[in-house]
Amino acid sequence: MDVSSILGSLGNTLQDDTDLEEGNYILDTGYLTVTNTTPIDVELYNENIDEYIEQNARDSTQRLIGALFRLPTTSSPDGPLAMLPPPTSLLPREKPLPKPKELTKWEKFAAAKGIQKKVREKKVWDEEKQEWVARWGWKGKNKEAETQWIHEVPANADVDHDPRKVARDERKARVAKNERQRLQNLAHASGSSSKTSDRKREIDRTLATTRVSTASMGKFDRQLEGEKKPRGLKRKFDPAEASAEQEKQSALALLSRLDSDARKMRKNPESNDSSALNVRKAIRSVSKGQGGVALARKLDSGKSSKKSRR
Amino acid sequence: MLRTVKPRNARSKRAFVARQPKEVEDPRTCIFVKGTHTGEIVTQAMKELMALKRPNALAFNKKNEVRPFDTASTSETTLEFWSAKNDASLFLIGQSTKKRPNGLTFVRMFDGRVLDIIEFGVEKLVGMAEFKTPKCTPGNKPLLHFASDLFETHPRFIQLKSMLISFFNGETIESICLPGIEHVISITLSPTPTTLTTDVTDTNPEDLTSLPKVHIRAYTIKLKASGTRIPKVGLVPMGPSLDLVLRRHQAPDPDLLKQSLRRPKLKKQDVEKGVGKKRKNMEVDEMGDLRGRVHVGKQDLSKLQTRKMKGLKSRFDEEDVEEMDVDQEDVEGMDVDQEDTPLQTKKQRT
Repeated sequence: MDVSSILGSLGNTLQDDTDLEEGNYILDTGYLTVTNTTPIDVELYNENIDEYIEQNARDSTQRLIGALFRLPTTSSPDGPLAMLPPPTSLLPREKPLPKPKELTKWEKFAAAKGIQKKVREKKVWDEEKQEWVARWGWKGKNKEAETQWIHEVPANADVDHDPRKVARDERKARVAKNERQRLQNLAHASGSSSKTSDRKREIDRTLATTRVSTASMGKFDRQLEGEKKPRGLKRKFDPAEASAEQEKQSALALLSRLDSDARKMRKNPESNDSSALNVRKAIRSVSKGQGGVALARKLDSGKSSKKSRR
Repeated sequence: MLRTVKPRNARSKRAFVARQPKEVEDPRTCIFVKGTHTGEIVTQAMKELMALKRPNALAFNKKNEVRPFDTASTSETTLEFWSAKNDASLFLIGQSTKKRPNGLTFVRMFDGRVLDIIEFGVEKLVGMAEFKTPKCTPGNKPLLHFASDLFETHPRFIQLKSMLISFFNGETIESICLPGIEHVISITLSPTPTTLTTDVTDTNPEDLTSLPKVHIRAYTIKLKASGTRIPKVGLVPMGPSLDLVLRRHQAPDPDLLKQSLRRPKLKKQDVEKGVGKKRKNMEVDEMGDLRGRVHVGKQDLSKLQTRKMKGLKSRFDEEDVEEMDVDQEDVEGMDVDQEDTPLQTKKQRT
């Protein structure tokens, strides 16, 4: 008898839950939010507003709590933690999404080759000292060659060969190289074109120009193996059918170009100077390209001699 | 605007990094601003809402001349400045004027710019202190309850719901401590007027009398044993209780909204968990190993490579086939499949 009553009560509570399932509830457990989309009951609302709201809130909260307690949990010292699913409703973000970090040249290479990153330990074991020493920095292992008091000097070394200096210079060069690469990576990440890429483009352009700068415009030049054909400009044509507005605009643009100042100048150059003689050209021709001043000097000094020679 | 200075030491760098955009964002900080005149009701309403919003709340105690709806004024730049300075992306502005008494304005920002604005008028306010009941712990995450069908259908109320979730609870969390749930904030609308129920699009958006009131209530939750795993819920009014009417609003700029709704790409782990796009025939078993099912197409046994012998070469094939064809003509109702049977079987038969 006892058992049946307990079972009966259990059945009732279960029944309660399933009743709640049927309502128009929209749950978003990610944001701990429940929306009851049943239209507000006018009669109950008018009867007692606060009581109606509380009743409504209680039902919905029961639903939400039910959903939360049904979620998979992990234990914690404060009690079970319900693992929440990601929210379903879209909320505007506070700030835009973070930009992905630009990979360094090495990181790109490592990713392509599948090289895993490994953490280098800061200390290395020194066999001689029998203790752990820093890999770099104060009393670092990388300065060993500079600090040891005796050095092996190669037989063919110069008189002023300083093994300490050589080791130090090598180390400093490595540091400088690393710094240079870091700056290059930074410059690349910031998106500004680097010097090398500018230079590359310049060289390409020069090469393209020189290839067509021979007498045959590059036609009969010996080609190198693997040399590609120079790519010229691709001709582009406007579509044959255009809107009336576009057509009008292009026609007007053409007309204005026909009547432009530059064109007028080409038609009748130096219209203000009526003489047919181009003075500048004449001087250049007479002085054989040396200019008017040189011509005058020559005329002054060597009048007689010139005449006699002739 | 604000100078952006490269951080020069570790502490300022940490502060700088904390303000940078994050994939999973922190809860929004709200600044409570008093307008040129705030009456007793508005001041108290702001205090009560601030108690719910704490610790992500900041109060400006001096009066400020801000009119967020007035585009001609410098209010928008002021708000943007405050937002950048305090790393806050929500504002609650209290302002009481003769034309619009007891006004509360929610302003939401995205990327340092104003996204959308909603203005309310406070009709009735009962503070927390007037309910002689236990209160929730400050900073506890509330549950939210919205009641009305308009929250799914009417644009004004969809915006309102989004704004209030942002205000009270707009933080993505992975887990929540179940015994730690303390209170629920309920937002209920008054019954939908008939003008709204007939046709939503037909109503004049500026006709504010047609819009239902908004009741905001807060309750503490008492969980009682029910005999099952899921406890029974009892609610105790905690306060504050606010009755609000909707006034002006500014809908979000579509471009800005689209930007603000961008989600991060799902991680591989999430996809495996089944959060993202569903991946067919793949599952992670209890040991955490990825297991897949491979479907092999139907095998064509006629193309099976059998033992290589001189006699089985294809040039010996043709005459046999001709013979077979002759044979088949004799036999009625021969199966079509059998024509393609491997050579060796034919040989045996002939």
